[in-house]
Amino acid sequence: MRRPDRKINGMAHLESKYAEAPCAPAKPVRSGKAARRNFWGGLLANDTYQAVVDVLLKNERRQFWVLAAFPLAWVLFAHLGPVLQMFWISFLDSYPPTAGRQPQFTVDNWVAFFQEAIFVMPFLRTLVYSAVFTACTLILTYPVAYFLAKHVKRRNQLLFLLLLLIPFWVGEIVRTYAIMIMLGNNGALNLALKSIGLIDRPIPFMYTGFSMGVGIVYLTSLYMLLPLYSALEKIPNSYLEAAADLGAGSWHRFRKVTLPLSREGVASGCTLVFLISTGYYATPVLLGGPSTTVFAETIAGFFHVAGDKWPIGAAFASLMLITTLGLTGIFLKLMGRSGKGLMK
Amino acid sequence: MTRHTRILMSVIYWAFIVYLFVPLVLMVVMGFKDSKFIGFPIRGWTTEWYSGVMQDAEVMGVFAYSMAIALASTFLSLVIGTWVACFLGPYKFRGKLIVFAVTCLPAVIPGIISAIALRIFARGIDIEPGMLAIILGHTVHNVPFVALVVMARLSTLPRSHIEAARDLGADAIVAFFRVTLPYLRPALIGAGIFCMLLSFDDFVRAYFLGGYDPTLPVLIFAKLRSGMSPEINAIATVVLVLTAALGLWAERSMRRLNKGAS
Repeated sequence: MRRPDRKINGMAHLESKYAEAPCAPAKPVRSGKAARRNFWGGLLANDTYQAVVDVLLKNERRQFWVLAAFPLAWVLFAHLGPVLQMFWISFLDSYPPTAGRQPQFTVDNWVAFFQEAIFVMPFLRTLVYSAVFTACTLILTYPVAYFLAKHVKRRNQLLFLLLLLIPFWVGEIVRTYAIMIMLGNNGALNLALKSIGLIDRPIPFMYTGFSMGVGIVYLTSLYMLLPLYSALEKIPNSYLEAAADLGAGSWHRFRKVTLPLSREGVASGCTLVFLISTGYYATPVLLGGPSTTVFAETIAGFFHVAGDKWPIGAAFASLMLITTLGLTGIFLKLMGRSGKGLMK
Repeated sequence: MTRHTRILMSVIYWAFIVYLFVPLVLMVVMGFKDSKFIGFPIRGWTTEWYSGVMQDAEVMGVFAYSMAIALASTFLSLVIGTWVACFLGPYKFRGKLIVFAVTCLPAVIPGIISAIALRIFARGIDIEPGMLAIILGHTVHNVPFVALVVMARLSTLPRSHIEAARDLGADAIVAFFRVTLPYLRPALIGAGIFCMLLSFDDFVRAYFLGGYDPTLPVLIFAKLRSGMSPEINAIATVVLVLTAALGLWAERSMRRLNKGAS
C-alpha cells in the first residue's frame, strides 16, 4: 500500500532526529550502523502497523468511530446497564431465574412498598434525615468555607485547605468507628462532660438519630465545603467593598451580595451531600438504632437472604433512585431560578 | 469585615478542624490501651495490639487482597477514563450532553443503590461475587472521576502540540502516546491515587459484591459488629496512616498539575 509522501518525509525527519540524539550531543553516532530508531520510529516504519493504521484512520469519520466505539460501549454497558437492569428486574416476579421457569411480568414489587409501614417509614425517615443532615452540614461549613476563601491569605489557603482534606482520605468505616469511640457511654465526650461536672451519669448518645447525624455530617462535610469554597473564592472583594461604601452593614452585605453569589456552590454542595447521605449503609447500621432504620438497611435486607427477594429490593432501590434524583433535580431548578431572580 | 467577625470566623474554622481530627486522634490513641475494653479513661499503655496486627496473617492477607483490588481497578479506571475523556473532550457531536451525563451517572448514584445495581448486574453477566465483581464495581464507580480530571487537563493542551507532532510524521496514535499522554501525566497520577483511595476505602460495594474473602473495610465492619476492641483500633490506624500518606502524595502531584497548567 502506498503511503502519503508527507509521512515518509516526516519519518525521515524523525529518524534523523533520533540518530543525532540531541539530548546527548557529546556521544558520537556509531559508525557503520544504520541510524538507530527508537520504538515509535520503528513502529511508524512497520508495514503491518501502517496497514492497520491506514484502515483504522482512513478518514475523519472513521477516526471518530474508532475513538468513540469503546467509550460509548462502556458507558452504555457499565454505567447505564446496571441501572436499567435494576429497573427491569423490579418488574419480574423472580430473579435470579430458576431453571425451567420463565419469570413473569408484575408490578407487585412496587405495590408492596405502599402496603407496609415498615417500608414507608424508613423511606420517609431517610429523606427527612438526609435533608436535615444536609442543612446542618451547610450551616456548619459555610463559615468555614467563608473564612477560608475570604480571610485566609492566598498564600496560606492551600495549607488551610489541606488541613481540612486530610481526614477525608480516611474511609467511611474507619471514621464511623472513630465517631463510635467519641460518643460511646465510656466515650470521650461523656468523659469530658463528666469531668467538668455537667453530668453525673453518661448520656446515651449512641444508637440514636443524633449519633447518626454526627457521623454523617462528619463523613459528608467536605462535599459541601469544596463547592462552597470555590464559589466564595470567585466573589471579587471589590463587590463587598462597594457594598460597604454604599453603607451596607455586614449582615446586609452577606444577605445581598455574598449569599446570592455563592448560590451555585450552595446548590451543588447540598445536592452532593443529600445524594451521598441517602446512600450510606454502614454508618446507619453502626451508629443508628432500631428506631432510626433507614431505607438503605431495608433494601440491603432483601439481598442478605438468598434468592427470591431480589426483585423487591430492586424495586425499592429504583424507587429511592427516582425519588432522590427527582428531588435534587427540583431543588437545582428552584435554586437556579431564584438565583437568577436575586441577581437582577 | 469587622474584627469581631474575623475572630469569630477563625474560631469556627479551628473548632471545625478539632471536630475533624479529635475522633481520629482518639482512635489512634485507643489502640495503645492496655485492656480489652474500649472506653475512657486509659490507665495502662501497650503496643501489643499494633504488633499483634502486624503479625496477624489474616489481616495481612486481607490487606494484600484490598490492595490488589485497588491497583487493578485503578489501572482499569485510568485506561477507560482517559479513553472516555479523549473522546468526550475534543469532539462535538449530537447527544454529547447525554453521553456526558451517563458518564457521570455512577458518581452521583447513592452508594447503596449503586452497590445493589452492580450486584444484580454482575449476576446478569455471570460474574460470581468476589474479586472480579469488586474490581468491576470499583472501576465503574471511578471512571467518572478519572474522565472529569483528564478532561480538565486535556482542555489546556495546546492544539499546536499535536499539530507539530503530526507534521513531524507521527500519526494520531503515536501523537497520542508521545504528546498527549505525557502531557496528561500529572492528571493521571492525581486521579490514579484518588481512585486507589476510593477503592481502598470503599465499603458498600465491596460488601455487596464480595464473596467469602473480605476487603479491609469489610473486615473492620465484621469485627465491629461482634464488638469493639483495641485490635480494631490498631487495624483502623494502619488503614488511616496508609490512606493519609497516599492522599498527601496525591495532593502534591495535583498541586504540581495546577502549577503546570498555569
